[in-house]
Amino acid sequence: MTTQTAPPEAPTKPERRKLDENALRNLGLVGVLILLIIVGIITKPDLYSDPTWVKNNFLTILQQASAIGVVTVGMTFVIIGGGIDLSVGAIVAIAGVWSTTLATQSYGAGGMIFTAIIVGTVVGLINGVLIAYGKLVSFIATLAMMVAARGLAAQISGKQTQISTNSTINDIASTRPLGIPLLVWILAVVVIAGWVLLNRTTFGRRTVAVGGNPEAARLAGINVKRHTMLLFALSGLCCGIAAIMLTSQATSAQAAMANLYELDAIAAAIIGGTLLSGGRGTIVGALFGVLVFSTITNLFAINNLPTEVQNMVKGGIIVAAVLIQQFRFQSLTQLFKR
Amino acid sequence: MTIPTPRDGHAPADPPPTTASSATAESAPPAETMTRSDTTENGGLALKTGGDVPAPPAGDDGGDGPGDVVLRLTDVVKTFPGVRALDGVQLEVRAGEVHCLLGQNGAGKSTLIKTLAGVHHADGGEITWLGQPFAPATPQAAMRAGIATIYQELDLVDDLSVAENAFLGHEDTRFGFTRRRSTAQKTREILSRLGHPEIPPRTAVRDLPAAGKQIVSMARALSHDAKLIVMDEPSAVLAHDEVENLFRIIQGLTSQGIAVIYISHRLEEIREIGDRVTVLKDGRTTAANLPARTTPTRDLVSRMTGRTIEYVFPPRRPAEKREPLLVVEGLSRKGEFADASLTVAPGEIVGIAGLVGSGRSELLETIFGARRADSGTVTLDGQRITGVGRAVRKGMGMAPEERKSQALLLDEPIYKNMTLASFSGFAKVGFTDAGGERKAAEKTADLLELRPRDVTRPVRTLSGGNQQKVVVGRWLLDDTKLLLLDEPTRGVDVGARAELYQVIQDLAERGVGVLLVSSEVPEVLGLADRVLVMREGRIIREAPAPEIDEDTVLDLVMSGSLTTESILEGEPA
Amino acid sequence: MSALSRRRILFGGAAVGAGALLTACTSNEPDNSAQVNTNTDASANPNAAAGEKVVIGFTAPAADHGWIAAITNNAKAQAAAYPDVEFKPVEAGADAAAQRAAISTLVAQKPTVIVMLPHDGKELDSAGLEAMKAGIPVINLDRAFPSQAAFRLQIKGDNYGMGLAAGHYIGEQMKAKNIASPIIGEIPGIDSLELTQERSAGFKTALAEYGFKVANRRPAEFTADSGQAAATALLQALPKMDALWNHDDDQGIGVLAAIKQTNRSEFFMVGGAGSKAAIDAIKADNSVLKATVTYSPSMASSAISLARLIGQGKGMSDLVELQVPKEITLASETITKDNADAYAKLGF
Repeated sequence: MTTQTAPPEAPTKPERRKLDENALRNLGLVGVLILLIIVGIITKPDLYSDPTWVKNNFLTILQQASAIGVVTVGMTFVIIGGGIDLSVGAIVAIAGVWSTTLATQSYGAGGMIFTAIIVGTVVGLINGVLIAYGKLVSFIATLAMMVAARGLAAQISGKQTQISTNSTINDIASTRPLGIPLLVWILAVVVIAGWVLLNRTTFGRRTVAVGGNPEAARLAGINVKRHTMLLFALSGLCCGIAAIMLTSQATSAQAAMANLYELDAIAAAIIGGTLLSGGRGTIVGALFGVLVFSTITNLFAINNLPTEVQNMVKGGIIVAAVLIQQFRFQSLTQLFKR
Repeated sequence: MTIPTPRDGHAPADPPPTTASSATAESAPPAETMTRSDTTENGGLALKTGGDVPAPPAGDDGGDGPGDVVLRLTDVVKTFPGVRALDGVQLEVRAGEVHCLLGQNGAGKSTLIKTLAGVHHADGGEITWLGQPFAPATPQAAMRAGIATIYQELDLVDDLSVAENAFLGHEDTRFGFTRRRSTAQKTREILSRLGHPEIPPRTAVRDLPAAGKQIVSMARALSHDAKLIVMDEPSAVLAHDEVENLFRIIQGLTSQGIAVIYISHRLEEIREIGDRVTVLKDGRTTAANLPARTTPTRDLVSRMTGRTIEYVFPPRRPAEKREPLLVVEGLSRKGEFADASLTVAPGEIVGIAGLVGSGRSELLETIFGARRADSGTVTLDGQRITGVGRAVRKGMGMAPEERKSQALLLDEPIYKNMTLASFSGFAKVGFTDAGGERKAAEKTADLLELRPRDVTRPVRTLSGGNQQKVVVGRWLLDDTKLLLLDEPTRGVDVGARAELYQVIQDLAERGVGVLLVSSEVPEVLGLADRVLVMREGRIIREAPAPEIDEDTVLDLVMSGSLTTESILEGEPA
Repeated sequence: MSALSRRRILFGGAAVGAGALLTACTSNEPDNSAQVNTNTDASANPNAAAGEKVVIGFTAPAADHGWIAAITNNAKAQAAAYPDVEFKPVEAGADAAAQRAAISTLVAQKPTVIVMLPHDGKELDSAGLEAMKAGIPVINLDRAFPSQAAFRLQIKGDNYGMGLAAGHYIGEQMKAKNIASPIIGEIPGIDSLELTQERSAGFKTALAEYGFKVANRRPAEFTADSGQAAATALLQALPKMDALWNHDDDQGIGVLAAIKQTNRSEFFMVGGAGSKAAIDAIKADNSVLKATVTYSPSMASSAISLARLIGQGKGMSDLVELQVPKEITLASETITKDNADAYAKLGF
């Protein structure tokens, strides 16, 4: 019957709830970080009693998270935009190798940095064109690129480890402006830039729209294809930056470098609350995700525990994070269903 | 299952629905609300209200059907967020009969059959199956109980064989191994029962034509020993001669005592195959157990469309002649629509009436540039429109048919959804201006009387009507000259409909051209200045709204295949 | 346009650069760095006198690591040093199956001897048997066949021995420095590989003789960046350390970088495999790297030399036997500053 009663309204305060959800998850990740550190303190009180060591330890954790952190920022954009980039490790490798050939090294540090960034961006752009205009599924296109880029990297390097003789590049890893490693500064800049880009610019808005509902974005006049392409180029750019960081850390580059970075980056983005189906995710959460992994590695190292167990714990954390995410999501939707 | 429903209080003695409420009710057109007339001139049963046993109430073996009552629904209610999909459905099905369900799009037919199939669960009312209360928890449970459903989109696994599909989910196994030979044998038997022993059980379903796939679906139903088979528009995918064959199969089934619920838009099919008809409208039974062969078409149609309070249209403005804003000429897309030409003037509302599959949504999307036309042109203000981006820039906006999947970012706040087409305009050098967007969105929200007004809430939490307002509001923010509306009131509860109608009317007052598509004929007639009728991809009639009435439109829209058929039958004779 | 031309320059440069990367641990130019037996003076060594023509078929996996690249280069260079040897290399492809096919082709060409570094000894056992049955002696490099009949000569390195050598070197140094309970770190390569496990077992056994044990062990993946990450973690876990064994000189590039980045120098480090860069660093004595234990790709050069002798039916002149023995396991040698000069030519 046709009554004029107002439509059944859903429960109130959902926006606050959503904000809380992000904050809550990040808080949860901070909790995990603190927990890991407490475990460290309990298991290695002798180390943690030395303030210099403690400070150094935190900087080490941050530094070891820096290259993969930069890659994860790019990955987070791609995933929010509804794609996936399996080629990030390979792009780091091709950018690293290309920027450390003798020919490139002869252009000096500037030439090397330029090369790494251009190579990374161009390879990302190729991914983007294949996916946006070639209509390949991003999983397939970047899987192919993963194989191909490592192949090309091996071809260029002649399967050798290419040593960087450029002291400017090599010094990036050991320079510490204001007592904090330059690599950590780079990570901070990339994270802040990524946050602003996602939350304060039209690019970020388009990313959420394209990932959240591509059809709606298209029908609102957004150029979904071009944006998809740009997202993959952005991921490639991040890989180029990471390639320089990693090259400087290892003072060399080779085709097998940045092995399995794609999996670490995807895992970090996901435990940071990025929805694999797109449309939702946070840069801060992704950063925390990377830090959790880096802290686990540190915890296992200081306790001399085997890396097999470490990998098992990492896997467990990924599953736990996604389960928690699902439960919270379910309870939300149930509220609305009633 | 006897969950008390809000409707339980409604006894036959209840006041008529028109008194239900308020100002809108009073401004409603004087009741053509036929829904409660007690009998029809054909002796079919009138609507039974809550709690009543469908007449004739003389027990389960009451005389006018071929067999015992197997299924009975009393006052079944099913609500979704914002929508009351079923709002008191009565239905009685007897063994061995073909019971037809008739109703417009959105009348609740799909929800009803999904409730029977265990996909949805009723919120209230009572379902009895073979004399027992019936509430299938899962589709499997419904299957086991003997109710099989054949959906329009056949749910077959293309790469499995006919036999594997027929026995999918209850494979004949021994020690965990499927028994291929005996499965094939059983399938062959079932196919013979269906009159199609020629279908090889081991062929992959992929290789069968649509009609063959349908038979496999039926074989699956019989493999479960179904006593009731629900068919959702089975003829929609079939060619003419295949429909004849389908009817033969259905007759074979009913002669074995199996009951069939048959859903179709095509009245002439109902006449040919049906025994009794139940008509649904807006989730309610408006007439039950009408004789399928003898009830006049006009009667059936009026029961499907009976005007109620929901169609409250603002008074029509006097039409003024202006130069067309949108000109579409000879637009065609293969397999969807052909040679469509139309115009929309500023401030004019043009409505397109047509069934799902008539090509109306495709036409709208092509005009918007979201689909590429094979031939023909679209011009807005004299400028060619070739793609969505250009359409939006030139001042076209569209509220697509599937709000959730095509228009909204459900998890994002209202204001970001409203500015989805215009946030770049608010931005300065690429940086978004959330504050400005919020303010603009609030203004639009006020204009549209959006509830709640808090534009930072996620769209997911809004009712259907308010979600639709957000989609429409998106284009208000963007200085749109022409608005394309595809089923603007689908899934919108009745209260909000009137408001949406007002919004659309107001837009036209402001000089916006509106091109509207709707399955609900009264909506098109009530809103539009000019009406186009589409059938099978062609615009077959154009008329100013006052010069055409609902029944005419429905005749044009629905009896299309009747006409075709009579032509075909006429030829050899 | 300028970007395009620049890219072309870079690409072209890359291709050239890859071939002549002198600074890397290895170069592809066989003439200046390959490990070649130059003892080809016939007056001093009767075996060196040119004999009947020997055709040597050769197959090894595509190089994914400096060591394997060195194997191929060494074999090629050694063969070139003999006028009576014809070298017939065959691409081994990406996996064991491809290599098996390659060997079948090779057998059909009837070379005098076949020298092969199999992808996997077990999987290519049948290929070895096939060649031997066809009357072609097979020399297996590094990765043993299970069947004794599948090879004429087995020449390999000694993973367990590497661990022993590294352990003994560290033990002796600690004794000399009078450190009773030293803190010892270990950075192995990919931990799931048998060769890594053998190396670690040898290391543990040798240290145990001195009553020492490994304080922390962080595996890397034979790559420089993974070496850097593992070393960083290890250094953080052990704020004070006395000695470190890194299994692989390739990943050692990263290990040394990490040590430099953390400004640590209170310990010394032992490498593994014996790359040219590592030997140079030991000789220069300007880093914590004081020694490396060999697992030398020079075995490929020796294999070619012995293949020639087998083909000509000669024995090793210093031995009483008239034929080349069936198994040779290279000793893992310890390269320090004192003997680095002697080993410089063997660095890869």
